[in-house]
Amino acid sequence: MGPILVVAEFTEGELSDTSRELLTKARELAQSLGSEVIAVGFGSHAEHAMANADADRAVAITGLGLDQYLPLTYERTLSQIVSEYHPLLTMVANSTMGLDLGAGVAAAQHMPVIAYCNGLHTDAEDIVAQCQAFAGKLLAEVAVPAGGAVITVLPGSFGSSGTSGHPEVTVMAVDSVPGMDVVKILEPEKGDVDITRADILVSVGRGIGDPENLGLAQELAEAIGGVVSCSRPVVDAGWLPKARQVGKSGQTVKPKLYLALGISGAPEHLQGMKDADLIIAANTDESSSIMEVAHYGTTVDILDLMPALAERLRGE
Amino acid sequence: MALRDVLMAATIIMFVAAGAIFSRRFWNIYQVMKKSRPTNRSDRLGERLTSTFIQVFAHKRMLKIRYSGVLHLFIFSGFVVLLIDVVGSILQLFVAGFSIGPVLGMIVDIWVCLVLIGVVMAIYQRAVIKPERYHGSDETDGYIILGMITMIVIGIAIHESFYPYAAIPVFGVKSAPIGAMEFLAYGLSHLWATLGWTAPRAASIGYAVGYAMDILVIWIFLAYLPYSKHLHVFLAIPNIFVRKMRPPGELVPSPVPEEGIAIRSFGDLSWKDVMDLYTCTECGRCQAVCPAHAAGQALSPKMIILELREALKKELAGGEPIPLAGGVVSQEELWACTTCGACMEACPVFIEHVPKIVGMRAALLEDGEIDKSAQKVLVGWDRQGNSFGQPLKKRPQWTKGLDVAIKDARREPVDWLWFVGDFASYDPRLQDLTRLVAQLLQRAEVDFGILYDGESNSGNDALRIGEFGLFEALAQKNLAKLEEAQYNMIFTTDPHSLNALKNEYVKYGFDRPVKHYTEAFVDLIEGGKFDLKPLGIRATYHDPCYLGRWNRIFDAPRELIKRVGVDLVEMPRHGENSFCCGAGGGRIWMEEVGIKERPADQRIKEALTLEGVTHFVVACPKDVAMFTAAVASTGNEGRLRVVDVAELLAEAAGLGIPDKLVATR
Amino acid sequence: MRILVLTKSVPDLVEELVLDEDSGELLHDEMTYVPSEWDDHAVEEALLIKEDSNADVTVLAVDTGDVDNMLFTALAKGADRAIKLQGDFDLSTSNRKRAQAIAHYVKENPYDLILSGVQAIDDIDGQIPAMVAGLLGMPHASVVTDVRLDGDRVHFHQEYGGGLQAELASQTPVVLGIQAARKPPRYASIAKVRQMMKSSVLEEVEVAVEEVPELEIRRFFKPVAAGHAEMIDGDAEEVAERIVSILKERNLVRG
Ligand SMILES: Cc1cc2nc3c(=O)[nH]c(=O)nc-3n(C[C@H](O)[C@H](O)[C@H](O)COP(=O)(O)OP(=O)(O)OC[C@H]3O[C@@H](n4cnc5c(N)ncnc54)[C@H](O)[C@@H]3O)c2cc1C
Ligand code: SF4
Ligand code: SF4
Repeated sequence: MGPILVVAEFTEGELSDTSRELLTKARELAQSLGSEVIAVGFGSHAEHAMANADADRAVAITGLGLDQYLPLTYERTLSQIVSEYHPLLTMVANSTMGLDLGAGVAAAQHMPVIAYCNGLHTDAEDIVAQCQAFAGKLLAEVAVPAGGAVITVLPGSFGSSGTSGHPEVTVMAVDSVPGMDVVKILEPEKGDVDITRADILVSVGRGIGDPENLGLAQELAEAIGGVVSCSRPVVDAGWLPKARQVGKSGQTVKPKLYLALGISGAPEHLQGMKDADLIIAANTDESSSIMEVAHYGTTVDILDLMPALAERLRGE
Repeated sequence: MALRDVLMAATIIMFVAAGAIFSRRFWNIYQVMKKSRPTNRSDRLGERLTSTFIQVFAHKRMLKIRYSGVLHLFIFSGFVVLLIDVVGSILQLFVAGFSIGPVLGMIVDIWVCLVLIGVVMAIYQRAVIKPERYHGSDETDGYIILGMITMIVIGIAIHESFYPYAAIPVFGVKSAPIGAMEFLAYGLSHLWATLGWTAPRAASIGYAVGYAMDILVIWIFLAYLPYSKHLHVFLAIPNIFVRKMRPPGELVPSPVPEEGIAIRSFGDLSWKDVMDLYTCTECGRCQAVCPAHAAGQALSPKMIILELREALKKELAGGEPIPLAGGVVSQEELWACTTCGACMEACPVFIEHVPKIVGMRAALLEDGEIDKSAQKVLVGWDRQGNSFGQPLKKRPQWTKGLDVAIKDARREPVDWLWFVGDFASYDPRLQDLTRLVAQLLQRAEVDFGILYDGESNSGNDALRIGEFGLFEALAQKNLAKLEEAQYNMIFTTDPHSLNALKNEYVKYGFDRPVKHYTEAFVDLIEGGKFDLKPLGIRATYHDPCYLGRWNRIFDAPRELIKRVGVDLVEMPRHGENSFCCGAGGGRIWMEEVGIKERPADQRIKEALTLEGVTHFVVACPKDVAMFTAAVASTGNEGRLRVVDVAELLAEAAGLGIPDKLVATR
Repeated sequence: MRILVLTKSVPDLVEELVLDEDSGELLHDEMTYVPSEWDDHAVEEALLIKEDSNADVTVLAVDTGDVDNMLFTALAKGADRAIKLQGDFDLSTSNRKRAQAIAHYVKENPYDLILSGVQAIDDIDGQIPAMVAGLLGMPHASVVTDVRLDGDRVHFHQEYGGGLQAELASQTPVVLGIQAARKPPRYASIAKVRQMMKSSVLEEVEVAVEEVPELEIRRFFKPVAAGHAEMIDGDAEEVAERIVSILKERNLVRG
């Protein structure tokens, strides 16, 4: 039985949360299959970052220019590793890098790829993956072929155990593959925020009551790493610029988290945000329409909730 | 040469020159019109004539703005009366001893005074009142024209008053002194006598100056007119005569041009459109009533006409053609229009703005340019037949909460077929209301049915966004389903659907009777179908553009409101002068760019000026959505409630209604 | 510069997805299909490049039986040619098989730049552009915006989430998975699409595809639907506590 390969990613020189999750899952599967876990990471910090990873072995790939993500070089290298180690599973996060490497490496290696996986378990004979399809409207149960597969995993699917290990780290030096290179890193644009690009929106409606309370929303947004958006009446009142308006006559957003604070959920508003991955609504009126699209709801006063939440998030 | 010969020669030479300039100009315009698209404007001749008469001589539309209307009537009637003078003065010059006589002379004098009063009023209006509607008009031109008119009428009085003294030296005939009936000439001639200007030389000069100011300036006026907005002096009456006499709500009459409705260049205009451009008086009445303009957006219907006219002039002068849509007229202007028709209703010379705007929108659309939210709606109509991004299957879902099922008109014959419309079917806030309408019909024991998921959006808004192909596709879908159904009459909740079914589907041979639910309910009340208890509230009523202006249904909703015992107070702008909510023409789906104050908000404020009015009654589902939001955004909940006429009827009829729809709380 | 845009149709999510509840199979023939949203962006980006540089734009779809309207729409928007790959395909044909078919075609008919939507709603067996590139051994990148030509190289932006981006440059041929076009995709009016149907033809290219690795999808099923928010009780402190733990479960808390 081949090993389980996990492609690690790093944030600020450490294993990313998602990579930890993947390793935890890989460990669990490896145990039940009697296999081993190999972590693969790119860049000069990989060796250090994977030193305590919950893996049996680790391959740190280094080389000139590899600290920066290079699609072509990474893919060719990973392809080579896959062909060398014959892993049963190659797990990558469904990040930009995962979107590049997953299907690309699978096709090059004549393996199948299973994408948008958010669950993995073993049953009587097989490893079974659960995948999200059709924008989350359906789930699919996919049997991992006996010959193995590449799996791209949605971040936040598994949770990590926090266990660390002592993998034997091999450093592998490679040259970057000519043909595609990074010209420059682009800093996030300044100027008013683009709410359509934010992963987290702290959205306020007329329930905010007074423009002075916007400070609370802003503090919460900073604590949670999000951006403040709003419903139309808040823009009408001149409390926030038009660019922050969500809805039919404003922006259509699809963030990972939409906090609807004091928003009633008029159809024109819902039209702009109902496809958010997670909607949490706070509205003193439990019968307000926002509760019909929200995943979680609460009836506490937002003026109490915002500072309480911000404090907790900051305190973490 | 004798003075008389000089004047005669000048009269002839200048007439020929002015005539040549004038004819050439008209020839050019005629050439453009000849190359334009055809349009039939010779239907219903009798009505054309009578209504032209009313508009021209009674100044019906002009008098909507009293001050301007009156001053214009003075000047305009002056033009007619002064024709007498032109003939008289020239004949006097050429036929020695000719006179128009004291009675006509007095009439001329009266009108000289009226015209002068008109001119003073006009100058006061331009210089002191400065109405906003003139913003963007050519003011210099206005003053030049007023100056010439002043010169002409003063000239009349001058040459007339010198005539008795100049008759012998200039014409070699003796003239009787002026009688007191011709009061103006009489008074002035006495003034000249007092001043001692009656000697042959002085009198001859006086006469010649007066004559030149009168007749020669008229010739100059003639030559200048075609280059000024005052071309309307000649074109207004014909333009009123060839105006649209087909149903107002029909935007695209049959036959639809083979190449579509898009207006890209002047060749895509109809000859009437070209004539419109030259007829525009720059009065700005259209601008004054335009909701988009009032909202602070880039659009002014007047400027659209003027921009097109300027561009056409440049093109005729040999300039490179500029694309009309997005070039001559900007995209912002074109997309700001709600197609409310207020401009066309206000225009005293019956210029048709909306078809031009929609035609240019169609050109933008063909190039793929359209507001992105509206684009989604177009795609939704194409795929699911509704603007809500909802499945087709869910269209009849609102019927779920009803005790008695509604007949499927595709399966069994019905008396009335209800065309429900997108908003009434899909908007969760309006579904209670839609059910109420159904319950009212059930209470009245009407045999009615709906098309269930066989109904698609009527296409009225798609057409007004400029997407004719989509309109046609939607119309064909609906017509196919209507073909399957058996019914005696159609009624609609939504005025936009009403308009399409009533006015736009005729192109495809559809001619069944269509009513709005307000009309249908009035019929039922008349038939004694409801036991009504007066509601005793004070309310105002908003005429939806597509019910009122475009379909002239003003009375039915008012009748309904009165029948349920509501004290109706009219807003300043009502009936044909109603002010758009801002939703029409696809605007409800477009981004609100450049809006300083939403038309709906302005409207709510207008209603709030009415004393004791607690309810704002509407007769259009879109209006319920628009005005409910406007009441909220202007912070007037608690002061004014937006209610649909059906809610009032249901309450008066004692129907069990959902709590939140009870109007008299 | 010859640009190829790979397009496909996917079930319209506005309508219900039709599922045989017992077998968990998708009933493809009972669903309505619409062009994949990301592919629309790829077409738009290609047309914008064409406007800048006179590139020649070809749109391609594997003929799964319903693609004509989609291809004519692309032509109406301004694409130069449209190609339909024909063979043993239908609506249930896997992405992997489609990618293989496209790879065969491209091998015979080289292009400089191949664009496609970065993903589609139904690609659990892999995203087509990445697989095409993998099969052909071409360089490729996903989550791409802002594609511009610079001599014989292609410059583009790749997004990494959290507002982070890099500008990359690539040799040709290259395959790019487009996240969003520089401008929202343009509208094709019904009349224009109809006119295209009359005035132009879709080129049909026959391709044979060998066996490819396929996934065994055991069943599709609907996630347990909420319908109404799960209410969190308690005072502000308790609610905040609970929200933070929900966020943590989903990795939405920083650090
Ligand atoms: C054509 C058109 C386009 C529109 N476009 C948009 C659009 O793009 N975006 C948009 O948002 N709207 C749009 N609207 C307006 C829309 O109809 C609603 O009016 C608007 O969304 C309501 O905003 P809201 O929820 O903030 O306010 P409200 O509806 O007034 O809701 C405020 C909510 O806050 C709650 N609340 C009050 N105090 C507190 C508190 N202390 N703690 C917790 N909850 C509290 C209340 O219970 C209430 O539910 C549009 C309307 C029209 C007609
Ligand atoms: S139709 Fe209405 S919105 Fe459009 S230009 Fe005329 S007045 Fe303005
Ligand atoms: S279009 Fe009509 S209303 Fe508008 S300025 Fe011209 S003449 Fe006046």
